[in-house]
Amino acid sequence: MNDNPGLLLATLAASLLVAPLIFLLPERAWLARTSINLGAALLKLGLVALMVAGVARGDSYAFGFTVVEGVSFQLRADPLGIMFAGLSSLLWLFTTLYAIGYLEGSPNRKRFFGFFSLCVASTLGIAQAGNLFTFLLFYELLTLSTYPLVVHRGTPKALAAGATYLRYTVTGGVLLLIAVVALHALAGEVNFGQREVLADLGPEYHPMLIGIFVLLMLGLGVKAALVPLHGWLPQAMVAPAPVSALLHAVAVVKAGAFGIVRVVYDVYGIALSYELGLLTGLAIAASFTILYGSLRALAQVDIKRRLAFSTVSQVSYIMLGISLFGPMGTIAGLAHLLHQGLMKVTLFFCAGNYAEELGIHRIDELDGVGRRMPGTSLAFTMGALGMIGIPPLVGFLSKWYLGMGAIQAGMPWVIAVLVASSLLNAAYFLPILYRLWFKPGPLEGVGAWPEERRLGRLETSAWLLWPALATAAFSLLAGVFAGLPFSPLSWASLIATQEYLP
Amino acid sequence: MSLAHMLLLTVAWPLAMAALVAGTLAWRHGRALIEQRSSGRYVVPPGIAGDWPYRWRVALWVSAPLPALGVALALPEASLTLDWWLLGGEWRLDGTRRALLGFTALLWALAGGYAHGYLGGKARRARHGDPDAERDLQAFVLLWPLTLAGNLMLIVAEDIASFYTGFAIMTFAAYGLVVNAGSREAYRGGRAYLIMAILGEGMILAGLLWAAASAETLTLTGLREGLAVAPQANAMAALLWLGFGVKAGVIGLHVWLPLAHPVAPTPASAVLSGAMIKAGLLGWWQTLPLGLTALAGLGRVVMIAGLVAAFGAALYGVTQRHPKAVLAYSSVSQMGMMTTLVGLALIAPSLWPVLAPALVLFAVHHGLNKGALFLGVGITEHPPRLPGWLLWLLLALPALSLAGALASGLIAKWVLKAGLYDAGWSWLVTLLTWAALGTSLLMARTLWCQAHAWREARRHGAAPAPLSMTLAWALCALLAAAVPWWLTLPEAPAGAVQAADLPPWGELPGLLWPVMLGAVVTAALVVACHLEPRLHTRISRAERLPPGDLWPLYVRLASSLSGPLRRGVARLSNAQETVQDLAAGCGRHAMVWLTALQRWEAWLRRWAVPLMVLLGGGLWLVLAG
Repeated sequence: MNDNPGLLLATLAASLLVAPLIFLLPERAWLARTSINLGAALLKLGLVALMVAGVARGDSYAFGFTVVEGVSFQLRADPLGIMFAGLSSLLWLFTTLYAIGYLEGSPNRKRFFGFFSLCVASTLGIAQAGNLFTFLLFYELLTLSTYPLVVHRGTPKALAAGATYLRYTVTGGVLLLIAVVALHALAGEVNFGQREVLADLGPEYHPMLIGIFVLLMLGLGVKAALVPLHGWLPQAMVAPAPVSALLHAVAVVKAGAFGIVRVVYDVYGIALSYELGLLTGLAIAASFTILYGSLRALAQVDIKRRLAFSTVSQVSYIMLGISLFGPMGTIAGLAHLLHQGLMKVTLFFCAGNYAEELGIHRIDELDGVGRRMPGTSLAFTMGALGMIGIPPLVGFLSKWYLGMGAIQAGMPWVIAVLVASSLLNAAYFLPILYRLWFKPGPLEGVGAWPEERRLGRLETSAWLLWPALATAAFSLLAGVFAGLPFSPLSWASLIATQEYLP
Repeated sequence: MSLAHMLLLTVAWPLAMAALVAGTLAWRHGRALIEQRSSGRYVVPPGIAGDWPYRWRVALWVSAPLPALGVALALPEASLTLDWWLLGGEWRLDGTRRALLGFTALLWALAGGYAHGYLGGKARRARHGDPDAERDLQAFVLLWPLTLAGNLMLIVAEDIASFYTGFAIMTFAAYGLVVNAGSREAYRGGRAYLIMAILGEGMILAGLLWAAASAETLTLTGLREGLAVAPQANAMAALLWLGFGVKAGVIGLHVWLPLAHPVAPTPASAVLSGAMIKAGLLGWWQTLPLGLTALAGLGRVVMIAGLVAAFGAALYGVTQRHPKAVLAYSSVSQMGMMTTLVGLALIAPSLWPVLAPALVLFAVHHGLNKGALFLGVGITEHPPRLPGWLLWLLLALPALSLAGALASGLIAKWVLKAGLYDAGWSWLVTLLTWAALGTSLLMARTLWCQAHAWREARRHGAAPAPLSMTLAWALCALLAAAVPWWLTLPEAPAGAVQAADLPPWGELPGLLWPVMLGAVVTAALVVACHLEPRLHTRISRAERLPPGDLWPLYVRLASSLSGPLRRGVARLSNAQETVQDLAAGCGRHAMVWLTALQRWEAWLRRWAVPLMVLLGGGLWLVLAG
């Protein structure tokens, strides 16, 4: 059982042990804190890369001990988990860089970075969890460690958003707990990947299994922002931009989506989920969320709120993908887990840049910004076009595989959902791009920036600019070179092959 | 590095040019920013793009389509597999692609040379610190090679993903070219262009996904073959037809053409109307099961739509006052004829071997001549120092050719007519011939508008066009007329008329009467207007018809539909917020309750001893009793 636990634990420790270290450092120790943060992020990325190579070779990594009889703590690295770990480590690096620049000179940085590390550590735990119990532990830790980040600014609005966040996530957590306990009572301990346990239960248990599945979806759906459980996400956009990036792209929303992926593939198994008719329900819920989120996004005037509703819509692509029975749908859902992260983190970085450099929060203030901040605006453009699904950006690949999966699963109506969502995405992103690049702004003598600061030698501080450009470049390269090994798409295909060709 | 890698170069070279422009702009922008650091506030540095048309870079910039031209003229049939690219790239050069690639690259090259002269004034203003000129110039020099790259990629692509990528890059980058002038009309035209294009992209995506997934294929050939046997072929093909129809100007979806083409800078209009519009046709070509199976129902709809466009656009077009608007309607009309032929191929697949080469010739001929005509509009606005007869000869050449009076137009008409007659579709030939009368009238109208513009320009003493403009336009007109003789076109089956064959003398009257009639009608109208002023005022009234005919109607329709939708979404979001507030309210109530419990607890604490004594006494009584 305990093969290669060292690497696994070292990866977890790299971010988990950083948190107390940062809490111990004094507030003004900028250099020490920054170097610890970045060092840990780089170390973790390296370790995860090692494990990616190892898993690709066929090595297995696992660690576990029994907590009480019948309940054990399990960590392991399988292709699915390592994919999520890779995504969060990569984006964590960029988000850390960004956060350092973003919070420069603001108070309470120690608290921020401490909880930030804790948050990422729990994400990694979620990625490496080997059973539902371990998953639940880290899932709850994530909820708690994110709260201080959401309310970081301490304004009444932030506190209200934090309260909403807790109300939603804690309720979701309770439902999840009930479901996990019920599953334990029904089938004993189920490690991820032991799909036969539930499949062998026999038809008399099926109503019970369906009920537990619905409970699990409700619990996980809160974080994954399935409509109508999404209410906390648009409110939480009052948090600082790096936190939004964390919520929307790196950790929280993704943890929910990842949990759903785990439940469908590794607890119930895709065959049983299909047999119980659970996938159709999930597909309908996801489709509704996709359209509803896009429609709501159209009406928003605040940049980050529009992006938040866009997340609601885009994350459901993942659920839609896994609800399409067949390898193509699986590839779509898993690849989109990575693709959406890359694109959305870029968009939030850019929104943060506009707010920091020019004081812009509303869409109608964006006129002519492309000339003032071309690098940021280019990154935003790439993210937005990717979201619409324009090739060669990654969003197109997700759409393509979703469409293929829809036909494979015999649900051609999903294509109509996809196209409608693409059109809506275009309808709420293209006006922004139009304002950025084509409308005359303050540089042409029309109006003025709300609050211009010159943060750096270039268009804005280098800490803010380069992460946005880097993630934008990744979302382009991951599309252009999708055919190479270790691209998100190839990795997702690898997992899908394992899933369908045992 | 095999010869086939030249195909990669055709796309990579323009992309490299775009990257070069972007890199230079970024570098200069960054340097200016760093220099301005001390002053605090950021000001746009002047002349970032201003030297583009003047330094050696212009040669590089104009060279963007040249590898493609070289490939089309010299490379043998080739195919290239790119495993790393998207879903797996497969690019190919065959007969049809060669013809389209050749004419597209040539038109882009000539229009690029023309643009160099056209933008000279703007570059001068940009160097002297005019921010608007600077902005327009930056956008133009950056987006031009990008649009070109998309256009070339979609031609050489054999895999669906590359094709769609090229199509999308071209569509979106061209928006920047359409609105380049920055005027209100430009943005209105651009809006129409973009909205229609996105609707088209949506339908294309739906059609491609549906058809490709059903056929489980990644290549266009596989898609066509799959479509030929698919049970819902009519629906899939209809989606694809409509989706690409936006670009090809199918009637009803054509509204963006007359709005966008007149407002774009002239070289951009030339490539929009000459080369990019053919992307729609190529889309049909590559995705519809032409020659593989009959889709009679759809075919009839396509054919009728094509004929309506051929006649309707001609009728509406002659009322337009702006020569570019007239030309845009002429494009709709000409594309209508091509649409008719596509519809015919859907009805009678056995005709396709004869029809395909004729259609390629028609497309290439129309593309280059329309390009020359658009470039000519800029020439009449800035008449170069040429003798009048030469100028008007070169202006009339593409117009006459498009009307089918001579050169490539005559040949194209002859090839088509011969093929259709042999197959027994003489009524269609008659209709198309009558449509050619419409073309003649449109061409007459164009020349008439141009003559007007020319007189105005001479009266105001407009600056003569720079040499590069004149040269590019003259070359385009000449090469367009001679296209069947210099470009290798796909061969027709043995026995049919080949693309380079001249029609026999006996056929000429049958081919030429529409042009003649058109000329007579025009002359009669001109004379009548001179003699009878009331007729003239009545005609001027017709001239008030706006370009973009149905667009205002669509806008009104969309806004009346979006209202209920918006209200519905608002109601849903209100409901969700109500539930959230309700939950929060319940939470507050629960808290009040809990606080009340605390009070009870305090009371209990205070009375703990007496209560316990009481309880103990009670117990004792019960147990003892």
